[in-house]
Amino acid sequence: MSTNLIDTYVSEVGRRLPKKTRADIEAEIRSILQDMLEERSQKTGKPVDDEMTLEVLKSYGAPEKVAATYLGERYLIGPRLYPIFMLVLRIVLVVTGVLAAIGLGIALSQTLGHHSAETIIKAIANFATSIMTALGNIVLIFAILEWALFRAGGKVEVKGLPIEKEWDPRSLTKVSAPNQAKMGETIVEIVGCFAAIVIFNFYPQIIGFTPSLNSVFENGNWSSVTFVPLLSEAFFYYIPYLTLVWASTIILNIVLLRMGHWTTVTRVFVIGLKVINILIAGAMLAGSSLIAATTGALTNALGDAEAARIMMTLLTQGVRVGLWLSIIGGIIDVIRMIYRTVAGSK
Amino acid sequence: MENEPFENVILELRRGIIVMAVLSRLGEEQYGYSLINGLKEHGLEIDQGTLYPLLRRLESQGLLQSNWRIEADRPRRYYILSDEGRALLPRLKEEWTGIVSMMKKML
Repeated sequence: MSTNLIDTYVSEVGRRLPKKTRADIEAEIRSILQDMLEERSQKTGKPVDDEMTLEVLKSYGAPEKVAATYLGERYLIGPRLYPIFMLVLRIVLVVTGVLAAIGLGIALSQTLGHHSAETIIKAIANFATSIMTALGNIVLIFAILEWALFRAGGKVEVKGLPIEKEWDPRSLTKVSAPNQAKMGETIVEIVGCFAAIVIFNFYPQIIGFTPSLNSVFENGNWSSVTFVPLLSEAFFYYIPYLTLVWASTIILNIVLLRMGHWTTVTRVFVIGLKVINILIAGAMLAGSSLIAATTGALTNALGDAEAARIMMTLLTQGVRVGLWLSIIGGIIDVIRMIYRTVAGSK
Repeated sequence: MENEPFENVILELRRGIIVMAVLSRLGEEQYGYSLINGLKEHGLEIDQGTLYPLLRRLESQGLLQSNWRIEADRPRRYYILSDEGRALLPRLKEEWTGIVSMMKKML
């Protein structure tokens, strides 16, 4: 019976331990408990029985407590990642707040007095959902990072994260002007990318065209207002890829914020992102139209076929020009980055 | 409650010296329970939950080595200083002497 008690206790501790070390620690605890029982039996002059085993187990401690001593301190987000986690969190909360305010503004202007209480409640609910989604995603990403760092045994040096190495104040003066990361640009990129992720992934319905509301003010007829969605399914096909690029850009900019200057690694990373951007823009140019609106739908909305035709041409050509500009701008950026990387490494 | 800050400081102090105390006792092979008793005889009581994980950590750091041996029909794990641990111990002693004399001057 006493052996059964020990077996149960040991397996209770063991199931809380990682598989890799479980058998070894279980064997060790079993051996310690037997030593303790042997000593107690000698001291009291009594044979080992259930009562004595229970006493020994009680003094050894609850299984979860014993297992915890072998595991050491574990964090969902540890001290090494915590400062950068808080920085991301603050940025995300501010951006989400601003976006929610804009969303509320748009919603209010579209209903203009009608159902405004309902609109405000919906906007607040949307805001809460956005915050929770954003928080959940950030915590998840950082928890995965923490787990990866833990698995690596803290041996991984992550650029931009506080690491325990000797810091030389002279490094401050080594950063030349072209290598200095521009704080403003960095924050604008973070905010822009975050806004893009949120809008295109969570609120794609707000990207559309609503003709002037003047007629509504004049005759109060809300049912006459038509909302024409602008972006086609072909566009949303690219969203997962774009989201990855935006998320990577955010991470890169946070690293730049922490480091304060460019390095070869960060430049190579940006070159990679720019190349992916160019490829996506190229695919968008070559693929199906990104515009969902049709001349017919615009004619219905505007009530003028000629104006609708002109607007449709402007939209189609505008998207093409925008994509070409982004490709050309991307190529220029890549060349500039390659030049700086080569110049910086000399 | 009044003693809490005092006890916290003492706990921190003891935590600092446990590694040195354990290493100092493992010039000769010992199993965990005998090590606990040996330290207790010298006036240092260590909780089992502190000692065994510590022994494993010191072993993973290369300061100790261990082997399982069957004694009286059951396995026991014996720990002993590794070469690295042996080389480290005199340096630790020297450091400790320095700390003690520094604190004596300070207090």
